[in-house]
Amino acid sequence: MTTLSCMSLRAGLVFAALTLWLLAQARVPAAAANWRIDPARTHIAFAIDAVGYPRTHGQFRQFAGRISVDFEHPDKSSVAFHVQSQSVEVGSASFDDYLRSVAFLDSTRFPSIDFISNSVAKVDDHTVRVSGELTLLGVTRPLSVDVAVEREGGGGRLAFLAKTNIDRLAFGMNSGFPLVSRDVELVISSAAIEL
Amino acid sequence: LSAEARPERWNGLIISLHWAAGAVILALLPLGWVMVYGGLDSAATFDLYQWHKSFGFLALALTALRLAARFVGSSPPAPASPRWERRLAACTQASLYVLMIAAILSGWLVVSTSPLPVPTRFFDLFVIPNIAPPDPSHFADAVLAHKLAAWAIAFLIALHVAGALKHHFVDGDDVLKRMLPRWRTLRSPHG
Repeated sequence: MTTLSCMSLRAGLVFAALTLWLLAQARVPAAAANWRIDPARTHIAFAIDAVGYPRTHGQFRQFAGRISVDFEHPDKSSVAFHVQSQSVEVGSASFDDYLRSVAFLDSTRFPSIDFISNSVAKVDDHTVRVSGELTLLGVTRPLSVDVAVEREGGGGRLAFLAKTNIDRLAFGMNSGFPLVSRDVELVISSAAIEL
Repeated sequence: LSAEARPERWNGLIISLHWAAGAVILALLPLGWVMVYGGLDSAATFDLYQWHKSFGFLALALTALRLAARFVGSSPPAPASPRWERRLAACTQASLYVLMIAAILSGWLVVSTSPLPVPTRFFDLFVIPNIAPPDPSHFADAVLAHKLAAWAIAFLIALHVAGALKHHFVDGDDVLKRMLPRWRTLRSPHG
């Protein structure tokens, strides 16, 4: 009788542990699902003004990103973007070369521009505030961006739009200031598919 | 040189350098205007600035060579025009040389003193060094000097061309013909 009780207790414990483990496994993807960024629908664009010169619009063509979204607990979501600085394009090969030079992006020494989030907070039903760290020219500074999020196609797709200004002087990118403005406008639009 | 010893026409080297520099300068003036006031986008503007800088240094090379050729070679005699006309012509031509050099040197200073020094890549072949450090105040002065020189050159070219056409069509002399290539036979309306 004692042996039987012991066995049923052990079986009960094992069952409970197994159930908890299975629940835990099941919760992980539901809680913070990973999304694949669609490169064709992702644009990392920027614009910068200069005195006596037209506004320069450009974008970065090569990047890698990871998005993890938890709709129930937005604070458990995360975003990481790695942009190749040499992939800058403004519509002129010689201008691109100049932007890659030490005067601006210094792409040989600093091939990657990185953003890694450390917190995501819900602002309203369609907006989250992503805070994290931006590393440009080897200098890391905090950056907080409001991101408009739209669920598409029954929820299997997400569209993002983020606009912000960064102060290039804070990263040591001083060339041409004050002729070339210190503020660089960033517009990042992206779409992701649930994995 | 005595009038008899002077050549009838300009030598081939000077003729070539004259027309080549003329073509380059006539391209530089509208190019400079369009790149500043043309309302083009940033990328096209950047490219036009690079072309303008390359052609500017080409004009400097052509002008320096022509000045050297003028010092070495001899020039045809002045036409039998009134004294004031000969003076005006000599003054216009001398001023054009001075202003061309001034325009190019002030352009070089614009590039050099700019708070945003963009390297000057001569037709994408090699980099031409700057001649001064970046300085906003010197930059503004150089821009003003460059613009004034450019407008003065445009005015003097008009005067220079008007003089050449007047010699050809009104006076019927060979002042224009002797600056034309030998294969080009331009008949004077008077002879």
